Amino acid sequence: MTAQVRAELLKIRSTRTTIGIVLGMIALILLFSLLSGLLTQAQSLTSTEDQRGLLGVGSLAGVFSALAGIMLVTSEYRFGTIRPTFLFTPKRSRVVGAKLAAGLLAGLVFGVVGEGLGFAIGYASLSGRGVPYALSGGQTSLLLFGTVAGVALWGALGVGIGMVVRNQVGAIIGLLAWGFVAENLLFAFVPSVGRFAPTHASDALMGLTTDHLLPAAAGGAALVAWTVAFGLAAVALAARRDVN
Amino acid sequence: MAAAPPAPADAVVVGDGLTKRFGSVLAVDSLSFALAPGTITGFLGPNGAGKTTTLRMLLGLAAPSSGSASVFGRQYSELTRPALRIGAVLEATDFHPGRSGRDHLRTLSRSASLPDARVDEVLRLVELDEAAGRRVKGYSLGMRQRLGLAAALLGDPELLILDEPANGLDPEGVRWLRDFLRAFATGGRTVLVSSHVLAEVAQTVDQVLIINHGRLVVESSLEQLTARVGGSVRVRTPERAKLREALERSQIEATIVDEQGLLVHGASSEKIGDLAFAAGVPIHELVAEGSSLEDVFLELTAEPQP
Repeated sequence: MTAQVRAELLKIRSTRTTIGIVLGMIALILLFSLLSGLLTQAQSLTSTEDQRGLLGVGSLAGVFSALAGIMLVTSEYRFGTIRPTFLFTPKRSRVVGAKLAAGLLAGLVFGVVGEGLGFAIGYASLSGRGVPYALSGGQTSLLLFGTVAGVALWGALGVGIGMVVRNQVGAIIGLLAWGFVAENLLFAFVPSVGRFAPTHASDALMGLTTDHLLPAAAGGAALVAWTVAFGLAAVALAARRDVN
Repeated sequence: MAAAPPAPADAVVVGDGLTKRFGSVLAVDSLSFALAPGTITGFLGPNGAGKTTTLRMLLGLAAPSSGSASVFGRQYSELTRPALRIGAVLEATDFHPGRSGRDHLRTLSRSASLPDARVDEVLRLVELDEAAGRRVKGYSLGMRQRLGLAAALLGDPELLILDEPANGLDPEGVRWLRDFLRAFATGGRTVLVSSHVLAEVAQTVDQVLIINHGRLVVESSLEQLTARVGGSVRVRTPERAKLREALERSQIEATIVDEQGLLVHGASSEKIGDLAFAAGVPIHELVAEGSSLEDVFLELTAEPQP
């Protein structure tokens, strides 16, 4: 299993796609944290929730770790490397398990880099503008660990989504359409259901306290449940479906 | 179809009533065969005959609708670290275009717990060591074929399964492949190579499995198939006696036509040419008379009579 995880990690590292995803992530987090850190009026940065929004901008990395997870599966189907992969490791559950683990590990790196960057810029802009830091030690830890854990889980969730959908474009469009449109509509109109959906569960996990969000622990549990559900579906489907 | 006799105990690859149905289409129809160790088998049939589907079932990529396939006595999917025993290439294009050849091999060698040094060994073996650092995007088809072969060879397997490996190769590449397969098979290793062109593999294989519309049409040695041709080959050589001797050593019958002419029976012109070359006999003319091996192949794989 470790051998297969090492193989999957090398697959992530050895294409320029990953470099592109990482650079895109860094660029977007830089843009968002600089814009909101420098342009937001000071009185809109004083509450704990305002500051969570600013300092937790690294949670955007979750989109990119999910993309990396999706690519780890769908590019294998797109370019046919899934054939040699399964020829070398015919136990498909082992391949999917290793990809889930690799997605989680890659997501962890994305989360540390993304939230490290977002937090540093946010903190610097608060202190540079003389806005007092409002979060307690516990709230800060929850923000940092919750954000990183959420981004990591999205990496594995991306692997699950990729294995269920298999088509690269379909999986990416599905992810973006769900995360940025459908889930927001669901949360806006049926918050009692929408708060269990994965992006709002990640918001809860990083300690955000907007109306209707779950408590942090429940949000974390919901996101883990989504990841496990997609992971199990991925294992079952990979075992059943023929490879062309 | 009559039940096939049980496969010999030492068979490396066995298909037993292998069947694959896609909806109402029967792609592979109760295919039974066995490959003996140390042989090179040509798996032949026109495009769409079911060759690739059969290989996918052998290699655990597709599940048979009924029947079974085994490799070294077990289902492929039950083998642990199959790369150490079986090397297979199904498509010449199974690479991420943005990954280097070396990294492609490393992802596979890692999954089989093989050392990185082995990657460099197989790269040298297929003469790709200089291009290994470049992204596959820039590889020619011949280079991709060799990279696929390198992946199959990583675990130093005893059995090689190749699907249409000569597709798109230039003549030099075809010759390289032929020499490679011959060298591989000496030493008791086994090869199964598919093709839709008999001539492509006729000089390499010992035996043929010919399928059409998913059904086994012929399972025989290449010599038996050649004998079936019934035609003969007219040879003109200044060293008639020497050639005849060489042919007789290989149990090939030849009748004398005239001072420089021989009529050889039951052997392909490829075989005769090879024997003459080995014996150092110059050949001035080599003409297949009657139907050729290719004619027989086309006849066997023609549309079935209604």
